[in-house]
Amino acid sequence: MDKQLKRGMLDVCVLKAIKSEDSYGYRIIKDMKPYVEISESTLYPILRRLEASQLISVYSVEHNGRLRKYYHITQSGLQRIEDFKTEWEEIMTIYEYVTKEDDNE
Amino acid sequence: MNKTEFMTELSHRLSGLNNEDIKKSLAYYNEIIEDSKEDGMSEEEAVASLGDIDEIATQIVMDTPITKLVKEKVKSTRTLQTWEILLIILGSPIWFSIGIAVASVIFSLYVAVWAIVFSLFVTVFALFVSAFAFLIAAVWLLFTKAFTQSALFLGAAFVIAGVTILLYLGTYYIAKGIAILTKNIFKAIKRSFVKKEEI
Repeated sequence: MDKQLKRGMLDVCVLKAIKSEDSYGYRIIKDMKPYVEISESTLYPILRRLEASQLISVYSVEHNGRLRKYYHITQSGLQRIEDFKTEWEEIMTIYEYVTKEDDNE
Repeated sequence: MNKTEFMTELSHRLSGLNNEDIKKSLAYYNEIIEDSKEDGMSEEEAVASLGDIDEIATQIVMDTPITKLVKEKVKSTRTLQTWEILLIILGSPIWFSIGIAVASVIFSLYVAVWAIVFSLFVTVFALFVSAFAFLIAAVWLLFTKAFTQSALFLGAAFVIAGVTILLYLGTYYIAKGIAILTKNIFKAIKRSFVKKEEI
């Protein structure tokens, strides 16, 4: 898959993983696993990027005597998922057109 | 590799970044390792599952914007307070002229020191030329059969040559010493402005 395309996809996947409930690094990877295999070192830059563009916000929670970072989706993050959906609806329409059996063949 | 080793290794590899970024990266991997352990992995397994440490470090560095990397290299040792900035601006007519005065004094001292070194070199050269001249005169006197004078001139030529060599060595080491001193002073000035960089 095109690198740029995959990058955008993974961003949205991570946003989805924290959409219904705030989550932390290890759990995001686990939750995404059935759909997309993502390594810890791949997730880290994505989280940094999402945080820098304010699509997610970060807060720390104490857990077993240590701090664990939780990621929360922001309004712009939710908007990004919506944009992704509309974009892909258009792409799917094009896909259907391209793969459609030709009538006069 | 255990967690401590991994953390030390990683921080070494990231030492080009700013402290904030290093801390964040280490905290992230620390959390992942701890969560993996809680999930039933051993510490070694958790570290191993992260993959190659070189790749991890490279990815973090690559992902840091180049402007941030460059800015980091020339970042001052501390940030100025608002009142300090205000004071600097308001005091500029005073410190600027004082600064120029101090700089010119230092510069003139520096020039004076090098002028001494230069004059020493000129002396060495003059001595060398005169030794050579005495030698030529001695040879010429030999042909005019003035043997006593010739021997005297030859002796003078050797004495001067000896002095020249000693003076040259002395001057050379003085010049070298001043050059090293200058370099160290500039380094010290630079270090007081720019954070020392670890590689």
